[in-house]
Amino acid sequence: MTLLNDPIQIDKDKIFNRIGYDGDSVPSSRTASLVEDYIDNYYDLIAPSYSHTVKTIKSVNQNRVDVGDSVILESYKVARLMERCEKVAFFALTIGGYLEELATHLADKGLVLQATVLDAIGSGTAEKLAARIEQNIREEAGRDSMVVSRRFSPGYCDWNVSQQEMVFRALGNNVPGITLNESMLMVPQKSVSGIIGIGRPGNDIEQYNPCITCLEKDCPGRRR
Amino acid sequence: MSENIIELIKENVIQGRITRDDEGIEEDMAGQPGVTELVEEALASGIDVSEIINKGLTASMQAVGQKFETGEYFIPDMLASAEAVGTAMEILKPHLEKSGVKPKGKILMATVKGDLHDIGKNIVSILLRGAGYMVKDIGNNLDTKDIVKAVREEKPDYLGLSALLTSTMVSMEDIIKALEESGLRDKVKIIIGGAPVSEEYAREIGADGYGADGFHGVSVIETMNGIN
Repeated sequence: MTLLNDPIQIDKDKIFNRIGYDGDSVPSSRTASLVEDYIDNYYDLIAPSYSHTVKTIKSVNQNRVDVGDSVILESYKVARLMERCEKVAFFALTIGGYLEELATHLADKGLVLQATVLDAIGSGTAEKLAARIEQNIREEAGRDSMVVSRRFSPGYCDWNVSQQEMVFRALGNNVPGITLNESMLMVPQKSVSGIIGIGRPGNDIEQYNPCITCLEKDCPGRRR
Repeated sequence: MSENIIELIKENVIQGRITRDDEGIEEDMAGQPGVTELVEEALASGIDVSEIINKGLTASMQAVGQKFETGEYFIPDMLASAEAVGTAMEILKPHLEKSGVKPKGKILMATVKGDLHDIGKNIVSILLRGAGYMVKDIGNNLDTKDIVKAVREEKPDYLGLSALLTSTMVSMEDIIKALEESGLRDKVKIIIGGAPVSEEYAREIGADGYGADGFHGVSVIETMNGIN
């Protein structure tokens, strides 16, 4: 699999969902045409790039995972995952800035519907690319008879967004096409970063999901 | 004649049709005059600008809001309608002053420091324009001092603040305090919005209102404006 060059198949229904349609609702033919047109042509608007690395976990305590090289992950829930793992993969990817620049330009011109559709396609593309990189890390781990966890990103649950700095530090502060702003947000916005735990089968790594026991039932990031 | 054109403008805003070439929510409408052609026809016929705005545009967006609330319309549908109103207002702009039509109020929209997200703010802005307000979007990732400066210079009636992150929403409280310290707080009503904020958070930080979504934000401002 060519991580960046193979075409990314965008799921039209997921784009409809992102722009406000729920499972049973049917978009008007006009909206459907607009989404289809953008899906047919979005590929010229993206310039994907990514970086990933795998590091051995040095130690885990209550709220802290030490990966060495001054990379410390601070989160109770991340620590509960990493105590089952031997290694952790760090990754960051982007689809580039042009698509969101175009969306901003369209919004400035008053074409907010087109901007919203384009923004949703950008988010969907970044997520698809993240899934592809996750699969690549899974396959690499599989060759060593290891299994991988779900993805976790800074800013979700009790893992503060300021920890983005640690992900980028683990990646050598050299992620092509992405910079961090003062709030530790990635620029361009259509970027995804995070960690994936890697360990031996039988340690409940693949299914580890802190959302199951979490009391924040209305959390927008809740995973089933 | 006048009633007929106004009714057609209303219908086409609800359909979200800007020009003759556009499809509506309903199919097979392409080829019939859209909002652009109808507003131009209304002006050429001497129909009062205030009548076009109040009976054609504002009334139609109220209908769109109801359709959204009842689940008949979705976000793209209301955006198409709001864009149609935006186009109509551009055509009417040169005629507003001489006809004595004034915007319902002036609103500054801003996304707070550290936050780059602006799709939600754009949606609220276009709906507010559709409802007859003058909206100035001053951007995203804005320093508190820049927002205070804009309030001082622009003298808006309302300030809309947006944030998508729990880590950036805290700036909203800083902005309110800075406006108090600058003696500007009682000159502007502040409405906050964005995924992590709530009615309770608005009260906690001393904002005047909270918009749960685009139409709710418009409704909150209309209520403050004594319109609802």
